[in-house]
Amino acid sequence: MGNSIKRLSLLILFLLPAVVLAHDVTSADQETLNNGGLFSYIWVGAKHMLTGYDHLLFLVGVIFFLKGFKDILKFITVFTIGHSITLIAGTFLEIQVNEYVIDAIIALSVFYKGFENLEGFQKVFKTNSPNLLMMVFVFGLIHGLGLSTRLQSFDMGTDQLLLKIISFNVGVELGQIAALIPIVFLITKWQSRQSYPAFYKASNVYLLLAGVGLFVYQIYLYVNGG
Amino acid sequence: MKKLFFGLLAFVVLCSHDMFLKLDGYFLQPQTQSEIQLFNGSFEKSENVIARNRMLDASLVGNGKRIAIDTTQWFEKDSITYLDFKTGNAGTWVAGVSTAPRNIELDATSFNDYLEHDGVLDMLEWRKTNNALEEDAVEKYSKHVKTIFQVGDTLSTDWNTNLGYPIEFIPLENPYSIHPGHDLKVRLLYKGKPLADQLVYLGNELEDKNETAEHTHANGKTHSHTHEDEDKNDHTHASVEQLRTNGEGVVTFNITAQGVWYLRTIYMQHLEDETLTHESNWATLTFAVGDGNQVHSHDADSHSHDHGDETHEHDHEDEGFPSYIFWVGSIVMVALLFFFFRRKK
Repeated sequence: MGNSIKRLSLLILFLLPAVVLAHDVTSADQETLNNGGLFSYIWVGAKHMLTGYDHLLFLVGVIFFLKGFKDILKFITVFTIGHSITLIAGTFLEIQVNEYVIDAIIALSVFYKGFENLEGFQKVFKTNSPNLLMMVFVFGLIHGLGLSTRLQSFDMGTDQLLLKIISFNVGVELGQIAALIPIVFLITKWQSRQSYPAFYKASNVYLLLAGVGLFVYQIYLYVNGG
Repeated sequence: MKKLFFGLLAFVVLCSHDMFLKLDGYFLQPQTQSEIQLFNGSFEKSENVIARNRMLDASLVGNGKRIAIDTTQWFEKDSITYLDFKTGNAGTWVAGVSTAPRNIELDATSFNDYLEHDGVLDMLEWRKTNNALEEDAVEKYSKHVKTIFQVGDTLSTDWNTNLGYPIEFIPLENPYSIHPGHDLKVRLLYKGKPLADQLVYLGNELEDKNETAEHTHANGKTHSHTHEDEDKNDHTHASVEQLRTNGEGVVTFNITAQGVWYLRTIYMQHLEDETLTHESNWATLTFAVGDGNQVHSHDADSHSHDHGDETHEHDHEDEGFPSYIFWVGSIVMVALLFFFFRRKK
């Protein structure tokens, strides 16, 4: 019991920076973008990833499923390629999707990962889950569209547009790495402990609940026009 | 007698030249009765009204539709031609008027004065360098004017409508999606193609609070002056800046402050014709840039954008609940679930 409290304290400690940094993407970011050049796009991209709980929850779900650093690197790379494609192309070509709809789909990706980790496909549908690498790529494309929608909500002007988009994407990757390091550390350290199954179950049930909650919330915003 | 006639004609020409579509306020409410003014003279003062039969086209574009303006919707008052219309649904709207060509005969001096007065400096320069300052002119001219205004809070894509006029300005961004400090690009089309290396004059009536401002007149002369005793709150300030389109027919300028902005140009060419020596096509575009609170705000907490066919609004601060609430709630929930599953085991 004492060990479990210790680990939970560790979890809180690791998530504390995200809580402290949680300023969201605000009009202050617009001012940063207006005045800070390309580095400001890197900063806002990183900030968005660090405070974008839906993206991080999905990645937490992916990491739970994986074993070994190589595996993590492979899946995160596929996710990164996926979201980079739609983030860069979507923003450059000004492809717009409704932000609430795309965020609702991203919420479903969080639910999906929790469901898969809890062997939902085997238990509910009596079938194997779809190829995870492919699903991570597909969800990467969807997450990229969400990021693109957010980036397009800013006034980026017309100069160096592609460079600004790429800078934002670089920021997203840096934010992703910064968020993943403690999460990977915590999960891999906990894996060898007796309390890990309870932690695994608790985290993935939470992903299910969070996915449903975020989905309902986004649909509510969509129906009520934000 | 002929001299007197040309003198009178020159007076008329020098007094009344440009045409503008203007509004008292460029931010209108949906479904309300409003007026657009057609100025024929200068941006500040209309000298003449425009006869309906001179209007080859008068259009309103909004909500994805182009509506031909009925001649009965126009009326005249104090040398200004007014369009009485009812705004439609919310969106960015365009109004345009294109007039039929007319001919004017001017002696060399009057023509040179008119070129200088109206800033047709390239033609004046050509006449100087080709020893043509003594040549009289018979010019065919026509005017094609547009205004962009905002109805309600929703931005739409009609702002970049090409009305198909012989010459016209088309912004590359919705003026109502930008705020002071932004660089706006506007393309000039002549017969549907970008017109490169063309002199364009940028003017404005700004609601600025500067007491000193710099002017550049149509002929390129610049001066500055101060306003010491004027009420700063109600102060508007007019200035004109000379620009030139780049190779893609685009002028870029900085929106320095909120207020009314306009572009004007006169594209004049030599004509190989038995009766005409020159042809000119005149274009103006008016629009306003707000303080950002109407439809687009970065100082406040929300703004809206249009992207292709989609229009949406963002509210950065209120979008979703704050992340820290989410993370704190998440940690509490994971902790509770953890203890629940641990005890269950």
